[in-house]
Amino acid sequence: MPEDPYSLAELARLADVTPRTVRYYVAQGLLASPGAAGSATRYSEGHLARLRLIRRLQREHLPLAEIRSRLERLGDDEIGALLGSETDGHPAPAPAETLAFVRDLMAQSGVRPRVQAIRETQASYGAPLLRRTMSSSEPMTPTMPVSVMSASPMPAPPGPAPSAPAPTPPIRAPIGDRTTWERLSITSDVEIHVRRPLDRQANKRVEQLVRIARELFEDAD
Amino acid sequence: MTTDNQHAGRIELVDPGLTIRPDRRLIRAHGRSERFLLVDVVAPTVAPDPSRRRAPVNLGFVVDRSGSMGGHNKLGLAKQAVLEAVHRLDPEDRFSVVAYDDAIDVIVETAPATPQDRRRASDQLAAVDARGSTNLHGGWLAGCEQVAAGLVADGVNRVLLLTDGLANVGITDEQELGRLVGQLRDRGITTSTFGLGTDFDERLLQTMADAGGGHFYFIGDVAQMRDHITSEVGETLEVVAREVVIELTLPDAIRVEALSPFRVEKRAGMVRVFLGDMVSGQTLSVVLRVTFDYGEVGRELGIGVRVGDRDGAFVRAMPPLDAVTVAWRYADHPDNDVQPRDRDVDRIVARLFAERAKQEAVRLNREGRYEEAGKALDGVRKRVAAYAGSDGELRKVVDELREERPVYAAAMPEMARKQAHYASSLLMRSRSGDGRSQRKA
Repeated sequence: MPEDPYSLAELARLADVTPRTVRYYVAQGLLASPGAAGSATRYSEGHLARLRLIRRLQREHLPLAEIRSRLERLGDDEIGALLGSETDGHPAPAPAETLAFVRDLMAQSGVRPRVQAIRETQASYGAPLLRRTMSSSEPMTPTMPVSVMSASPMPAPPGPAPSAPAPTPPIRAPIGDRTTWERLSITSDVEIHVRRPLDRQANKRVEQLVRIARELFEDAD
Repeated sequence: MTTDNQHAGRIELVDPGLTIRPDRRLIRAHGRSERFLLVDVVAPTVAPDPSRRRAPVNLGFVVDRSGSMGGHNKLGLAKQAVLEAVHRLDPEDRFSVVAYDDAIDVIVETAPATPQDRRRASDQLAAVDARGSTNLHGGWLAGCEQVAAGLVADGVNRVLLLTDGLANVGITDEQELGRLVGQLRDRGITTSTFGLGTDFDERLLQTMADAGGGHFYFIGDVAQMRDHITSEVGETLEVVAREVVIELTLPDAIRVEALSPFRVEKRAGMVRVFLGDMVSGQTLSVVLRVTFDYGEVGRELGIGVRVGDRDGAFVRAMPPLDAVTVAWRYADHPDNDVQPRDRDVDRIVARLFAERAKQEAVRLNREGRYEEAGKALDGVRKRVAAYAGSDGELRKVVDELREERPVYAAAMPEMARKQAHYASSLLMRSRSGDGRSQRKA
């Protein structure tokens, strides 16, 4: 069987998206995952056509879930026909894609803003977006007795708020859609939450933390 | 999308306008012709209804805090202007604040404009002081990230970039920045720019605002900073149609380009002129240059013109706007030479050429090429004089170019250059002297 024609970079360029956007669509189930992984990954004409149709549907403000269900019903021929028949609408924002595009530009030119202060209230912004990054089948419930997170923001502790601003952490704000929170259970009542991906160093420390925490609770028993 | 539909049902829009006027209607059968076409677009007006809710906005303020902002309390006034602007927002709106020098700090992450978050912004801004150099690109990009993270689908998402100096860290090339800003505009984030004092590069900021679908403001006197920033924020609250586009359908024998400074896209048989966002009742005059190949005497050629926007405001407004067509007819030289002219179009075209020449003269003046600056004005003056006849307004343009020549043909103080450039910029974009959009009377 001949190899599929496009590399990730070529596919992204032809569809006018970033490679990150392609990976995001694959992760979201909008595009079939390509055969082989790694730098040798190849994408087919079908991938390109689907990618172009996704872009078009996004310009019509369709949510990803709706786009996914539409694409599922369509064969490659039907997608080709749809692409041929439609005229370009006016461009419109597709939030996740815009954010991924900006982050790509930032990474390319090494722009790394510092986030000035740890957010004092979770109510304003951190909470809804944090929730978005979690798997929807496992929402973060307020009944959890302990919630330890590996990155800012921490929810405000109960009791009086600290009066002085906290020192600036060299950590990016959790405003992404590429990261996911993982729940590591310590006991049936205690969990540690970790935002993935983490670098190797932090990973090691998390493992250490889990080991110590589990020992701690075993001791208490 | 549901919010769009709710939005559509809620806001009643009335009296959109589209008129097109050619300067002349005959074209040459035996040679190429150049004609001008004036397109006047009037954004629909929001029908008065106190229960109406406007679309939310999402604004990213990006403030220069390089060392030079420390003088004349510039940074203090900038912070104050941002806070006042933020207080005009409602809890449905979002805002964020980034401060940049060579390092970039997110002062307020994207947040809804609740009283609580506005207070927090005030506390956090208080700690920002002036230092370092100017990474305008990085600051802008960080502002985009915040706006992107809170992107609202049916409202204005805009970065407001303030600077008083030359970009000297990160990407500083005008073309490259213009390209990036345009890419973000295609993805729903527009950019407006504010240049403070005499040390910034107005061509860079103008290019960014034009490519970014926003507006450029020159703030010669720091005391005006508040007015300009609140005025821009106020206009984002009144936008009724985002990314307004004039679409022209034309035969192969006709070529169209925009003389007015708006982005143009061409594809087979169609030209699109992107006007950016328009506020309720805003009027915009766009001049197009139309060129024709020769053709048979008596044959007619036409262009179809329609106007649309991302929100469908022009389509939905009452009474409905019809697409308009304009036609030209091929004729012999003698008929062409004696045909009547639409003087209103002539006046606007002459004004546009005069302002373009003045901006070119400012550029040459800055490079010390004084005589060439003077000649840039002479060229346009002679061309306008050739068709001005006894028309009072056209004579005025001619006289003005003659009287102002000595100003441009000798060294100008930088403040005068910036003021001249800005005055021309506003005229070319149908904006009034204080930087605001013009509205229907």
